[in-house]
Amino acid sequence: MNRALKGLFAVIIMIAACSLAYGSVFDFSRLQKSIVEKTLPNGLKIIVLPRHEVPVVSMVTWADVGGSDDPKGYTGMAHMFEHMAFKGTDEIGTTDPAKEVLLMAKEDAIFEQLRLERLKGDKGDKRKLERLEKDFEKAIADAYALIVPNAFSNKLENEGAEGLNAFTSKDQTAYMVSLPSNKFELWMALESERFLRPRLREMYREREVVAEERRMTVENRPMSRLLEEFLSTAFKAHPYGIPLIGHSSDIQNYSRSAAKDFFDKYYGPNNLTLAIVGDVKPEKVFELAEKYWARIPSKYKPERVATVEPTQICERTVIMPDKAQPIILMGWHIPDETHKDMPALSALSSILGSGRTSRLYRRMVRDDKAAVSVSAFSGWPGSKYPCLSVVFCYPAQGKSASECDKIILEEIEKIKNASVTPEELERVKTGTMTGLIAGLKNNMGLAQNLAQYNQIWGDWRALFGELDRINAVTCDDIQRVAKKYFVKTGRTLAVLETAQESEK
Amino acid sequence: MMKFNHKTFFIALISLLLSGNLVYGLDLSSIEFPALNKIELPNIKKIQLDNGMRIYLLEDKTLPLIEASARIHGGSYLEPADKVGLGDLMGDLMRDGGTQKWAPDELDEMLEGLGASLNSYADVISSGVNLMMLSTKKELSVELLAEVMRRPRYDEARFEQAMIAYKSGISRRNDNDASIAGREFGKMIYGSESPYARHAEYKTLGAISRNDLIDFHKKICRPDHVQLAVWGDFDTAEMLAIIKKYFGDWKKGTEKIPDFPKVDYKFDQRVGFVERADSKQSNVYLGHIGGNTLDPENSHRIVMNNILGVGFGSRLFNEVRSKHGLCYSVYGVYTSNISYPGKFFCYVGTKGESTIKAINLIKSEIERMKTEEATEKELKSAKDRYLNSFVFNFESKGQIIQRMVYYDFFGLPKDFLNKQKEEVEGTTAADVKAAAQKYLKPEAMRVIVVGNPKSFDAPLETLNNGPITKIDVTIPQ
Repeated sequence: MNRALKGLFAVIIMIAACSLAYGSVFDFSRLQKSIVEKTLPNGLKIIVLPRHEVPVVSMVTWADVGGSDDPKGYTGMAHMFEHMAFKGTDEIGTTDPAKEVLLMAKEDAIFEQLRLERLKGDKGDKRKLERLEKDFEKAIADAYALIVPNAFSNKLENEGAEGLNAFTSKDQTAYMVSLPSNKFELWMALESERFLRPRLREMYREREVVAEERRMTVENRPMSRLLEEFLSTAFKAHPYGIPLIGHSSDIQNYSRSAAKDFFDKYYGPNNLTLAIVGDVKPEKVFELAEKYWARIPSKYKPERVATVEPTQICERTVIMPDKAQPIILMGWHIPDETHKDMPALSALSSILGSGRTSRLYRRMVRDDKAAVSVSAFSGWPGSKYPCLSVVFCYPAQGKSASECDKIILEEIEKIKNASVTPEELERVKTGTMTGLIAGLKNNMGLAQNLAQYNQIWGDWRALFGELDRINAVTCDDIQRVAKKYFVKTGRTLAVLETAQESEK
Repeated sequence: MMKFNHKTFFIALISLLLSGNLVYGLDLSSIEFPALNKIELPNIKKIQLDNGMRIYLLEDKTLPLIEASARIHGGSYLEPADKVGLGDLMGDLMRDGGTQKWAPDELDEMLEGLGASLNSYADVISSGVNLMMLSTKKELSVELLAEVMRRPRYDEARFEQAMIAYKSGISRRNDNDASIAGREFGKMIYGSESPYARHAEYKTLGAISRNDLIDFHKKICRPDHVQLAVWGDFDTAEMLAIIKKYFGDWKKGTEKIPDFPKVDYKFDQRVGFVERADSKQSNVYLGHIGGNTLDPENSHRIVMNNILGVGFGSRLFNEVRSKHGLCYSVYGVYTSNISYPGKFFCYVGTKGESTIKAINLIKSEIERMKTEEATEKELKSAKDRYLNSFVFNFESKGQIIQRMVYYDFFGLPKDFLNKQKEEVEGTTAADVKAAAQKYLKPEAMRVIVVGNPKSFDAPLETLNNGPITKIDVTIPQ
């Protein structure tokens, strides 16, 4: 669950608690009533919130598939497919759809031989490899000659698209764009087409792009390297432990057919949700949905990940020597988002490490001057499945990670022994309430929240139904969950230790 | 000769054919675009107080919020060269250091207790304060702004804490190759002593005292430097009365602050190089000095940027990323300011083994902007992207009012943006080529490469881009 969503929770709590103060200022029930949804016979759900102040509209296509669903041997495939979804359709993106099929088949056939030869490692036939690599390069160049690069994106950007993008997380893949509202139908047409007949052109070049993305966002960044080590240590069994962007060797092994299989399995209309916020009329949206999206046949609803992370039975520690300055992060296993303990865990994290009045900030940054930054969060790296409550900390210059570690544990012990104050709990609730109201300013943020709630809870209304659940959180609850989940044997600790060149 | 396995070819072909069901053709041309609803420009009320402070008010009752942003003329360009970091510290601590009425802890507790956000900053040319809170506390919101701008406490303990954070920041500044590249490239363009590129060192921070902050604040933060924009859920007359109550008696400043320093730039070729033995990817910037927003060809340059290096459809994206697969991130943009010259710069992050190749590809695309006219399709696409997304300039009230503040400061006409739009509409391929010829100088570029030279596809010398200087980024103690 993302931060915005967390904010929403707390906001809603406060709306009930402070109905006298705020009820007259902003009526959330009216907002809720203006949201309409429809499910097509093929299973596609569409959520619409009409708002006509400005003639723009934000759309998100939310796929219930993420890095946790990566097939074995193909880590990062959910993310790779997200890239491929921008390559166009059978007809958009090529000058010759029929000939392209042949040229792509040739690429695939050569790559399959190349792949198998590469897998032999040292036993592979070097000359054969060389020849295949040359042929492969030629096949890629031949196929590229028919391509109209970035044709799909251009069609939207030329019509005024803003924020055309997508993201993949452990739990979901989302495709976003905002348009002037008179271009809405164009989006419905293009977006449905790319999930009806995506053509996975440029597959093999795009792997290189993803490999560069991995170098940029992971390998060249000390914090990201540490995060990969941390997650693969905290999760031994569940796929939350595998790198979202994939291992380098897996990226090099992706084939077009593997991407196609992934699409076939996870991109059925019954695994997608559209959330649309802005200057549109719901009846028109549904009419266009019938016209464009109903074309896509239903598929099997993919099953959830069966693997359950076994209870951690001993503390795990990773020490990563690096030239960079120290970083420390730690996590404890907690349940998934819909579990009854989550609101209390979320409040606990906020009180510990969110904002200038949080306990860790005051102790570590303000008083002891041991850290320059510290933050805590519950619901990471995803929240569809049992996940982690984490604390991240950048020690101050000259301070060690172990000093910081000691203080963080002391502060958690204090909450276990004496819980938190009612003022602290109130502050969390109030802060997030204004966060929710402020979140309403942004069409795209709201669209994503509706889609995410719908995915995790099965119904976007759960967003508003959170009220009672969270309103029930007490200081005692926070103490109880601190004792229950923040246990020594369940902890994973990762430390970046600054090393001189020679020590590495 | 190409030889391939017929069975795998057959399977691949069949699966591709099956994926393309041509029964449902998509006819995009039949989609009609209805006229876009007219955007009603909000009515912003502008008032100048006797002390010179300019107020901009915009009612918007959609949500129970009040938002404000104060722009203060003057920023880090005014700090002495031996006290680099003073501007940033002053900016951060204006709010973090508490006010005369509220100690820092009290301020933190009050704001978080209200779910409000309040922050201050200093930029190179200006400083400012931003606020957002529920509209149930209208008077308090203005009082907070007044306290922070007029009576900051610059609390000693918070000053000490900020100093630790800043020094830690210096110790961490080489942990990320991409930020090294950006930082050093800025210095290559503007000069390492230039207020537009310099950065703090332990020594310059060590020279800064709490009194320096107080003096620096006094120098810039005064009513005749302040433009306060407030928008949200209030009545204009009531809000204006509150503002007058809290700011009306603020005394005008008298000392004139220096103008934005000129940039003395001579076009030449240089390669700066930062060796990073552990680097997994080279970070590269290349370019030269940029322009002024008021240059007559500014609108032509907007179109030029879209063709060359901004967006999915740009030449750099198509060539370096899509066609050659050399990077995840590549872009190129000619930027302009009014205060001081912008930069023309292209960025690419690419594996060591394709460093030189990527740089050369980018250079030849820049060259091509000068020698070939854009195709009709490219031109149309570049213009459409600007024109069709124009409505997003009006998506939020905050955007609209803050743009007005900026225009007002620099004395731009109210309809500047609309003029620019008309000029973009009229831009021709010849205009773009002429702008490229006038403003792009691929023959005189400065390049920074941060990476591991052992992995490079060719020595940096092969770039033929002038003298190569190894930049030592060791942090001076």
